[in-house]
Amino acid sequence: MEESEGSKAWQAIPLGDDLGSLDYVLTAQMIADYRRVVDNPDAAYPTVAARHPANLFYRKYAAVMRVPNMGHDSEYYNPPVADKRITISGRIADKYIRRGNAYIVVEATAVDEDGRLIEKSRLVGLAREVGKEAAHENIAKKWGT
Amino acid sequence: MAAEVKVGDRLQSVTHEVTNDKMVEFEKVVWDRGRNSHSDINVAKADGISRTIASGQNQMAFLHEMMERNFGDAWVYGGQISARYIHPVYAGDHITANGLVTEVAPGNDGKPRVKLQIWCENQDGRKTCAGTASAGQPSSMRNWMEARAKSRAPGVPS
Repeated sequence: MEESEGSKAWQAIPLGDDLGSLDYVLTAQMIADYRRVVDNPDAAYPTVAARHPANLFYRKYAAVMRVPNMGHDSEYYNPPVADKRITISGRIADKYIRRGNAYIVVEATAVDEDGRLIEKSRLVGLAREVGKEAAHENIAKKWGT
Repeated sequence: MAAEVKVGDRLQSVTHEVTNDKMVEFEKVVWDRGRNSHSDINVAKADGISRTIASGQNQMAFLHEMMERNFGDAWVYGGQISARYIHPVYAGDHITANGLVTEVAPGNDGKPRVKLQIWCENQDGRKTCAGTASAGQPSSMRNWMEARAKSRAPGVPS
């Protein structure tokens, strides 16, 4: 019963695996666009749309695994400042099976070029092996969509 | 000085309509994520769902706004949130972010820490996400907004 044990691809992803780091500049335009799209002209954390954990995960595992977002845990320290370079680093923080579904928790930490800690965020992803199942198949059954 | 909250208090809620255009644009505002089940009907169908659904992070944005409005700096500098997405959000839905104070107790720093149940619900009253959040007691300070205003002033570097 692969589902209850997690797929081979899921099993092969090591707990604690270092996902490395990447950086980008959060421009004033990106911040303005985010605030317009979410109808909140004062939004403090446009990084909500940046999905740091997912980006780090897919950089390494996109060919074998998808992790539709079933939940998110975050801690916020300092809002990002426009046009500062942000470096994010990540790891596989947890893996578990619940109700027959395999999950992966990806943790990312964001720090800006001045060393300010921006946020720590964790993606709770439903592990779907690429080519085996549609990413949202089980979710669709549950939701009846 | 913002009014302190106590157990049982409801936060001022926030409601937004989710439109298809904004769902698509949300996928591009920081990094362009390409076509996916939030932005493209064909990808959504290939993923096993009948139509595009809003990203969970789109709901997270609404929860953020509620926390910013109710807690100010106490949320922005030190807030925590944990949410699980439990029902899809579609274009045309009106999503309301809600919060209920469940506990006020000293945090690790000895200062009062407010714990909350947080959730989003659609126009039919169905919960679309649920979880918990915490912050210090509400602050009237909005330092992140002042920093933004300074960055816009002529001659002042951001």
